[in-house]
Amino acid sequence: MAENKEPLVNETPQKETPSKIEIAPRKIGVYLCRCGGNISDVVDLQSVAESLKGENVTVNIQDYLCSSAGQDKIKSDIEKGKIDRVVIGSCSPKLHLETFRGMAKKAGANPTLLEITNIREQASWVHDKEGKESVNSKVKGLIKGAVARMGSIEPLVPLEKKLVDRTLVVGGGIAGITTALEIADDHEVILIEKQPYLGGHMIGLSKTFPTMDCSQCILTPKMVAVHNHSGITMHTQTEVAEVKGSPGDYSITLKHSPRYVDIKKCISCGACTRKCHTGAIFLPFAQAVPQAYMIDVSKCDRCGACVTICPRDAVNLDAKEEISTISVGAVAIATGFEPIDPSFIEEYNYPAPNLLTAVEFEDMLSAKSKTGMRLQKADGSFPDRVAFVLCAGSRDFTGKGRKHCSKVCCIYSQKQAQLVKKMKADAQAWIFYIDMRSAGRRFEEFYHHTQEKGVNYVRGKVAEIIPKQDGTLMVQYEDTNLGRKGREIFDMVVLCPALIPSAGTKELADKLGVPLGDDGFIEEKHVKLDPVNTLNQAAFAAGCVLGPKDIHDSVTEGMSAAHKVSQFLGKGMILIPPEKPMILECNGCGDCVKACPYNALSLSEGKAVLSPLACTGCGICVPACPIKGIEIRNFTRNQLKAQLKAMLEDAPGVVVFIDPYAYAAADIAGVNRKQYSSLVRFISLPSIHVLDGDVVNAAFEYGATGVMLIEGTTDEKLTSRSDDLYKKLKKDTRKHKKPLRYSHIETAQYEKLTDLLNVFASQAGAKAEKKSKKEKGEEASEEKV
Amino acid sequence: MQKETIIPESRDNAFRDLIIKSPGGENLLTCMQCGICAGSCPVSHEMDHTPRQMVRMIQLGLKKEVLNSNTIWICTTCFSCSVRCPRGIYPTELMETLKPIAIKEGIKNRNAKFDNIFADVVKKNGRASEFLLISKYSISEPGMIAQAPFGLELISKGKLPLSIDKMDDTRELDSIFSLSEKTGSEEKTKIKEKPPEIKENNSDSQEAEK
Ligand SMILES: Cc1cc2nc3c(=O)[nH]c(=O)nc-3n(C[C@H](O)[C@H](O)[C@H](O)COP(=O)(O)OP(=O)(O)OC[C@H]3O[C@@H](n4cnc5c(N)ncnc54)[C@H](O)[C@@H]3O)c2cc1C
Ligand code: SF4
Ligand code: SF4
Ligand code: SF4
Ligand code: SF4
Repeated sequence: MAENKEPLVNETPQKETPSKIEIAPRKIGVYLCRCGGNISDVVDLQSVAESLKGENVTVNIQDYLCSSAGQDKIKSDIEKGKIDRVVIGSCSPKLHLETFRGMAKKAGANPTLLEITNIREQASWVHDKEGKESVNSKVKGLIKGAVARMGSIEPLVPLEKKLVDRTLVVGGGIAGITTALEIADDHEVILIEKQPYLGGHMIGLSKTFPTMDCSQCILTPKMVAVHNHSGITMHTQTEVAEVKGSPGDYSITLKHSPRYVDIKKCISCGACTRKCHTGAIFLPFAQAVPQAYMIDVSKCDRCGACVTICPRDAVNLDAKEEISTISVGAVAIATGFEPIDPSFIEEYNYPAPNLLTAVEFEDMLSAKSKTGMRLQKADGSFPDRVAFVLCAGSRDFTGKGRKHCSKVCCIYSQKQAQLVKKMKADAQAWIFYIDMRSAGRRFEEFYHHTQEKGVNYVRGKVAEIIPKQDGTLMVQYEDTNLGRKGREIFDMVVLCPALIPSAGTKELADKLGVPLGDDGFIEEKHVKLDPVNTLNQAAFAAGCVLGPKDIHDSVTEGMSAAHKVSQFLGKGMILIPPEKPMILECNGCGDCVKACPYNALSLSEGKAVLSPLACTGCGICVPACPIKGIEIRNFTRNQLKAQLKAMLEDAPGVVVFIDPYAYAAADIAGVNRKQYSSLVRFISLPSIHVLDGDVVNAAFEYGATGVMLIEGTTDEKLTSRSDDLYKKLKKDTRKHKKPLRYSHIETAQYEKLTDLLNVFASQAGAKAEKKSKKEKGEEASEEKV
Repeated sequence: MQKETIIPESRDNAFRDLIIKSPGGENLLTCMQCGICAGSCPVSHEMDHTPRQMVRMIQLGLKKEVLNSNTIWICTTCFSCSVRCPRGIYPTELMETLKPIAIKEGIKNRNAKFDNIFADVVKKNGRASEFLLISKYSISEPGMIAQAPFGLELISKGKLPLSIDKMDDTRELDSIFSLSEKTGSEEKTKIKEKPPEIKENNSDSQEAEK
């Protein structure tokens, strides 16, 4: 492709001789950050600096390296020619690597020659309960390893790839609608929605708090705008089937379920419905967008009456599921939420007549109403006594429900209670709550107003709901303000269920390489500072897929995501990491071509050639080449060995090779101060598949007491091969008789990660001890492992 | 009922910490006072403090009130509160922890008396006897006289057998009692060590290991 620049490779690739490790003298500057005590309270940075004395590097310690003073120091050292390569010891590279590299670039250095060693999330925050000596020794090892690595790597220039100027928005709720409309004036948008109509949960709402305006009145114009916008292509009954390609250039397969009525032809005249004798063909609801009838096949007996009567020839009873493929540069995820099914709460006896969820309650009074917007019991009469039961499945730390607060129930239940009182002034409405959470502009006033309307508030989580023969429901509770148990009979009980990510969120996120939090919602790139970005630079999120929230906040996030998408697409180009394979020697066997999961290699004139833009840098080709002719730039066998050697020289440890997704889990462990053994030393890799027996054997030889491979990616093309990789490595490193382990840890599973590290570190330690005892002959030969 | 103002002197942090470290107390600090425990409790209306209030009082270290409360004796150990608590607190276990402490502290009330008589009867005969239990308790508890007609009715209908069943050989039982008297209360209140944090190996790696 003409628009793509090949990496400006500096050194002519040469096959490295595995036997000798050479580090050319470079002008390396090491900068250590105290992080205002966050690091220096635990790590003795002075002694770390002293340990580098023999290394021929300049060392500098700063209070805050990320501050302008800290950055200026590095910048001026580069400009003065004192240094040309930079090793930073600070917080996680996920936070400031881009900042520092930007600075280095301005100062005239190659940004890839600046790397960060994480001594905060991976040291001071997670080992502060251990002895200072062991933490210091770990940090010294890490920095020494980083210096050796820095001496061995080559300057690279990122590849540029042209972006596809089109966005896929997944989910047609208010968040997705807003995102699509805000992008569409500048960039083309494809909006897909799983349901046969737009609007998400909002179209199923009655009035909306805190202003009590009608939901469909404010939403319908937006839905129509989406439908009419020339920049938006809308597909309903559509989901993502497959994602191929890479950020900025995705090829996405969509799956369209059949509607049996052609949306473009149908004019909603309703002639079909009048002829249909089973009621199978219908308009979802009067304001539905798109305005087109549809068939419920479970009711249809294929009599064909609708086909004949339709004046526009719109009905096709033989319609099948269809597949289409689109090409997009960015994806905005707005798949919203769903209510948890409360039937797991045994004491509430859901489902039962007149025992509904709040979503079902809203439905009855919304545009989608099947009761003519009347609130009614199963027998059709009005419920004179209605109870609202809050926190049904939320705020539960036992594993049965969800830990999180669902945020909107406190307010919407008051809205619903107001509606009951409005429909019948002498009706009773009771709200059973634990804490009335009404933080937010205009919400306390809303609470106050609801109290004035005579709604009865009870502070206490409902203990039991017992459905009676006559359709009423007995509610038992403790009024915690009085410390007294109470029982009350209601005509209708409304459960406010925990709001959870909608089904399919995980599958979609996995396809896009976007991690989820341990609550199942999408993990933001930064909780506070990057709230609508994800770890995938081309994937964004908005609305309740990021956690429960109200319409106002969903709209705000939709607008933010749109801005972020436009900013991303506006650059026209995407930088892709230059750490790609180099083919140093090739006998034309084609093993790498077969091994590459992304079709990035091909044989041309009997030699393997790489398409750098298709390549993800996964490294599978490295161990696949039988003559060791392939290396990943800056992650070559020798570069990794140089790092390992220096890292383990002064003190042994457990070497943990980790990919970027699992690295993020380690960062979260750090933020949560989850302690684990300071013997653990991470080596960050683009993927664990670059490893082969050479590197792992070297780790053991240089003193690793154990080696772990931790993979976090959910890309099946990689994980499906991990078991084989592990078995191969196990075989190839058997002679060392030291523990080797593989584990898959997704970003959210940081607790599992630290548990695992602790267990492994102690096992490796025990094994090493046993071995050394044995070597010393202290133990008789009886104990054979 | 007179309610004392809570002042620093009424709070006993050592007591609080002891209970937190006892079985079922691990999550005690996370109680959000939701009240599902008390709402579920079949006998909370008989208690002078509901299970929820007990948890709150323990959090504050109100040792005197907690140990003097009839709640710990009224609890039927039905576990309704414990299975429903959204924070994983086990009020039932707390009651079990508090009983021996109350006994050790010499706190006397009706319910403690009942428990003691019950234990006595079992100790002597090796079996429980409803007749002995009721008659002994009635003698020590004057209010029980009002129940006499009901008791007679039960006897007349054969629902309260007068015969006293005895165990043939009570030696084993005796040794249990003497053991419990020796170690009894200490054992109960002894702080249980938390199990070590390290969980078993995760399954992926074990599988891979194979
Ligand atoms: C009972 C109740 C009452 C409420 N009342 C109010 C109120 O009065 N005022 C207020 O401000 N807020 C209220 N809210 C909150 C409000 O509903 C949400 O803030 C809002 O609906 C969130 O919009 P969203 O687009 O993020 O999610 P959703 O509305 O859930 O929309 C997500 C859309 O994505 C689609 N989708 C999901 N998965 C896929 C997939 N894999 N592929 C394609 N499409 C997919 C869904 O079908 C849906 O249309 C209430 C919430 C509840 C539960
Ligand atoms: S918003 Fe209110 S009702 Fe909903 S989970 Fe949170 S506290 Fe409970
Ligand atoms: S690094 Fe991975 S994607 Fe790239 S050529 Fe090698 S196997 Fe293919
Ligand atoms: S159920 Fe649990 S959280 Fe709720 S009040 Fe009782 S002890 Fe506290
Ligand atoms: S276990 Fe005791 S405190 Fe808990 S509900 Fe049952 S009787 Fe009440």
